[in-house]
Amino acid sequence: MRTVFFILALAVVLPAIPIGVWREFVLDAAQFAFITTALALSWNIMAATGQLSLAHGAFFGLGAYAAALAVNAAVPTPLALLFGAGVAAISSLLLGIATFRLHGIYFAIATLAFSEVMRTLVNKAQFVGATFGYPVPAAFGGAGGILTAYYLSVALLVLATLVSLALQRSRLHYAFAATRQGEAVARVLGVPAVRMKLIALLISSSLAGLAGGVYGMKTLFLLPPDAFGVHRAIEALVIPIFGGLYTTAGPLAGGLILVSLENVLRLWVGEGYLVGYGVVLVVAILFMPRGITGVIARARRRRKEAPGAED
Amino acid sequence: MELLLQTIINGVLAAGIYALVASGLALAVGVVGIINFAHGEFLMVGAFASYVLFIALGLDPVVSLAFGALALYLVGAATFHGLIRPVLAAPELNQMLLTFGIAVILQNVALLVFGGDTRVIYPPYQGTPIAIGPLSFGVVPLVAFALSAALLALLYLFLYRTRLGFAVRAVAQNKIAPGLLSIETSRIYLLAFGLSAALAGVAGVMLSVMLYASPHVGFLFTLKAFAIIVMAGLGNITGVLWSALILALAEAFVATYVPGGGGWVEAVFFLVIFIALVWRSWRAA
Amino acid sequence: MLRIERATKKFGGLIAVDAVDLELRPGEILAVIGPNGAGKSTLLNLLSGLYRPDSGAIRLGDLEITRLSPEARCHLGLGRAFQIVQPFPEMTVRENLLVGALYGKPSTPRPEAERRVDEVLALTGLAPRADQAAAELTLVEDKRLELARALATNPRILLLDEVMAGLRPAEGAAAVDLVKRIRDSGVSVLFIEHVMPVVRRLADRVIVMDYGKVIAEGGYADVAADPKVREAYLGKTA
Repeated sequence: MRTVFFILALAVVLPAIPIGVWREFVLDAAQFAFITTALALSWNIMAATGQLSLAHGAFFGLGAYAAALAVNAAVPTPLALLFGAGVAAISSLLLGIATFRLHGIYFAIATLAFSEVMRTLVNKAQFVGATFGYPVPAAFGGAGGILTAYYLSVALLVLATLVSLALQRSRLHYAFAATRQGEAVARVLGVPAVRMKLIALLISSSLAGLAGGVYGMKTLFLLPPDAFGVHRAIEALVIPIFGGLYTTAGPLAGGLILVSLENVLRLWVGEGYLVGYGVVLVVAILFMPRGITGVIARARRRRKEAPGAED
Repeated sequence: MELLLQTIINGVLAAGIYALVASGLALAVGVVGIINFAHGEFLMVGAFASYVLFIALGLDPVVSLAFGALALYLVGAATFHGLIRPVLAAPELNQMLLTFGIAVILQNVALLVFGGDTRVIYPPYQGTPIAIGPLSFGVVPLVAFALSAALLALLYLFLYRTRLGFAVRAVAQNKIAPGLLSIETSRIYLLAFGLSAALAGVAGVMLSVMLYASPHVGFLFTLKAFAIIVMAGLGNITGVLWSALILALAEAFVATYVPGGGGWVEAVFFLVIFIALVWRSWRAA
Repeated sequence: MLRIERATKKFGGLIAVDAVDLELRPGEILAVIGPNGAGKSTLLNLLSGLYRPDSGAIRLGDLEITRLSPEARCHLGLGRAFQIVQPFPEMTVRENLLVGALYGKPSTPRPEAERRVDEVLALTGLAPRADQAAAELTLVEDKRLELARALATNPRILLLDEVMAGLRPAEGAAAVDLVKRIRDSGVSVLFIEHVMPVVRRLADRVIVMDYGKVIAEGGYADVAADPKVREAYLGKTA
């Protein structure tokens, strides 16, 4: 909990920290970090019910394009963002209804197929620029300059974090966890598993769509492979796994670490930087499947059990 | 009429490689029980191996076929032994993510080493099509098809006419608790996975001549292979052949007859995966 | 109170449950026994809603519940413990029970659910292990947990699947006492069992199944003496 608070506080005060010439670069990179971390938090919510989604690239992309469409039609920024989230949510509902009898890997593959179909459709959609790209006006018409955009992404991160925390403290936490850890048993104990999965899906996709909308307004230009690319799905899942699945602090810390690493890797190595994510994923699965928070929790437990430990 | 026949021929010839790749994946999924997201990347590695050997040593891709098969068998076996075996007892989610991570690594290492451009090989026999009446058969696709058919026949013979093949099929049908690997089963898993990679590698060598070598080709083939085996039904080896044919034909028709067909072709595969999975899940209920 | 009327369930060519009629009366402890493969677990799955019967009906009181989902049946008071115990591995014992306490009936307030959990922990003797990870329990504790989970949902009817398997005699006796106490608190119990001494001590009535059909019904002594039952278990003597 302290970690969560610390990270959010850092995000809020970052522009005030004197870093001299690096300021613009850092604030810029930070926005991407916040957006990606929000996406990761949204994926984490759905993973809590045992649904492994590879469609988060699609939700992100749909949200980005829908919000961009709205803003280009002179809809005010907040409504446009909501519209983006809504479009993502509706698409996820259709996906969820079609696939709710699928589990585990088959569900994951179906979501991947869905995502790719979406990408192809947008690739062909002339009214949003197809493969040529789609320009997006800045948030709030550019008022307030760089700080507006920055704090919009902070707001996104805070929202995603609050949603994640709220779910963890509510009774839904138990329903989600039970659905994930034993769906048949959960149902026999009275948990409406299918409804829980749909709820998680809707919340998750809305947040992802929101993140996409903010992303579009940041980059000012959308391209299908960028908004819908499978690298979004990869980031969305590697971050929670690395940081610690089903927690809030995990994706937050993991996201900031990994996206920073990604930026460094990108500067250094160019195309192919995703290899870092691949390595992290493989290492995490093999050696720390519970992520960083899992490692820390285990270390804490061992310290408590160690002979001669106080308290 | 000629266009129709030509389209059909294109589809049939392409089906050879698709069936080869899909059979490899069917082995991994059916025998080892692992959804190998990195399968297409083995193909990609095979394609680049062929390219590198051609550029560096002037080695004809036909010779590279044998090399590709052997090299990828070893790669597959090593991957299985080092990375996959530890997670066989872990939840499916972990296994899936592991192979996904391996795929990401392989694809991006290729990007780092070779860059994103497609690399083409021009062996001397490439450009000359054989003409039979108004229809033309590219030499390379024709040979690739024949080779694929031969390899698949060999695979069938291996699985159904040899003792070892029988053991492989037995393991596929009788997966005991994944954590309790006997030495025999472990060896069969290794063989199956290595074989799976080798099949992909051979297909990759063929692809390097028929099309090109590129870091992005792996992911696409992984998805196509999944489409094929999901449509055939898991565990159904002969079904894979039919399924590959149908999908290759569908692809050929879309490419020929749908305006702007190129972009929609991929969507065909993805749509098929989606519909096949959803349909099966509703039917099973 | 809980009735199965001519229910049939087939899996491909195999008839697992064949036109079975069965009734659980209020306040009784009913045992269902039979050789392996007789269809007992399938019966329980039909009752709890994990399978739908191909034909026939299931009634709870006056209500027909054949089409109801497992969670809906739980809300109506049907609780079930599984044979192969699968605790929620990432939760503590207390949390495992809390799931049922919170969701077993619609809109149960948190304090009430917590109280129910404490009650069940005390009843099943799991209180000392309440905050342990469920994955770390012994076999006996596992079985207790399974029973406790079902109890946490406040059922009127409890379906138990071979909860005695693997228990030593002393543990078995304790379990028998527990089930009797549960019945005395107003819960009707239907249990599947292989351990005959337990059946004799616990059951008010016994139903014997073989090849998906009910072949005998009555008190333990009557059923034990029934030649059809002997044949089912031991095979025809020459």
